[in-house]
Amino acid sequence: MSAPSPQIPFAVGDRVVYPNQGVCRVFGVEAKEVAGQKLTFLTMKREEDGAVVMVPQAKVQSVGLRKVASAQEVEKVYTFLRSDSDKADLDWKQRARTNAGRMAQGGILGLAEVVKGLQVLSELRPLPNKERELYDNARHLLVSEISVALGIPEHDAEDSVDVILFPVGRERPKRTAAEFKAPGGDEEMGIGEDMIDLESPEMEIPAEVPEAPEEETTEEALALPKVEGPPTKARLSDEEVTVTQTTGSGLVPQGKPPLKRKRGRPPKPKPAEKAHAAPKKRGRPPKAKPLVEVHVPKKRGRPPKAKAKKK
Amino acid sequence: MIRIATFDPYEEKQLKRLCEILYTAFAVGTEHSSNVRLPEGFAEPYEAARLLEEAPRVHAYADDKVLFLTSKKLKDRALPSGSAPTNGLSKYAGEKAIITTSVVKDLEQGMKTVARHALHQLGHTWELHHCLDPRCAMYPTWTPSFPQGEPIFCPFCRDRSDQKIRLAKS
Repeated sequence: MSAPSPQIPFAVGDRVVYPNQGVCRVFGVEAKEVAGQKLTFLTMKREEDGAVVMVPQAKVQSVGLRKVASAQEVEKVYTFLRSDSDKADLDWKQRARTNAGRMAQGGILGLAEVVKGLQVLSELRPLPNKERELYDNARHLLVSEISVALGIPEHDAEDSVDVILFPVGRERPKRTAAEFKAPGGDEEMGIGEDMIDLESPEMEIPAEVPEAPEEETTEEALALPKVEGPPTKARLSDEEVTVTQTTGSGLVPQGKPPLKRKRGRPPKPKPAEKAHAAPKKRGRPPKAKPLVEVHVPKKRGRPPKAKAKKK
Repeated sequence: MIRIATFDPYEEKQLKRLCEILYTAFAVGTEHSSNVRLPEGFAEPYEAARLLEEAPRVHAYADDKVLFLTSKKLKDRALPSGSAPTNGLSKYAGEKAIITTSVVKDLEQGMKTVARHALHQLGHTWELHHCLDPRCAMYPTWTPSFPQGEPIFCPFCRDRSDQKIRLAKS
């Protein structure tokens, strides 16, 4: 059994986690010649299916190879899953980037963050297929690592996670998009941006957007915290606190309504002439009518004097 | 092939109905294989994990799955993060699963619920994890909506199980 070296901090027989692959067992450090270069490889076997993985010595750190989490780290994962950090990123690009980073370099807590984040998001709407796959992968890696770390069977490891995520005797709550709005966030990062079918006619932005309803919508969104009833987590977010202070503070005169900054993309400038133009008729243009003699109305009154001939 | 082995006597008609539902869900042949004897030293509620370990051997081939049925209750499991109500158990990617029919008073009436539990545990043996969709049989079994659902999988879980079954067959 070889001892860990500064270049390769793992010894033969160690159980390590290869990001996005799962738990592997190191079974050798080999020197091989590849394309004329002599390289030292850390050779591992994936425990799940026995697939052999070879990592060059120089890449051990950069690929994110790490030791299996300890029992204390697993306990931290449980604490995180129990916590109320149920904010999901609604910007799908940002979310995809963050989740990819968490999967690759985030450790066991990163996996838990991906699982919890996507689960919270699924309480708002069903996950798209890609994210559903990501959720399943993250869950699989998390469960297998917990199972190895605590030395319990995988079905117990999975249930230990799900007893927290799906509390016994309680259904998961239904969420609204308002709950996920980041403080001072942009509405462009709206829910389901990735789901929008740009070609569908329903999704087209209407040419004439009346000003008043937009104001109302903004007002409605801002008025959310004023609703009486049991306080929800969303109402306690930073955004709502700021809004309440603005409307009720001394900075705004009582008589005047508070200034509201319009959010989101400004409306497109309307072409002045086209706005009143008659709508374009669809279909085949009508057939040209047969030419008819133009009837010139007879002029009334005395006929004009004949011009004198020039001599 | 799914083979059902029973620890307690059940009506043939009910077992046939269960076989039909499982066949529809997995598209894999299902049959009532045998009635097996309970190992010594078990008292109600049964310890599911130990019972699976010590259950008598049922004649089956390499890719077959064995589903044990009992009418007695199963003991809740103590987990590192709490206690999980147990109406069934199976090893992830394993060959054996067990479910209890004590979750329903009348098996004739509650066949769908029992079949949903069977689908769930057999799904684990085909490497399915818990699902986010409350309509799917892979949704956690201790949730209030689980017994009301149909014995079906969501499209994602169905694809996954189909894939695993196809790989096992080849």
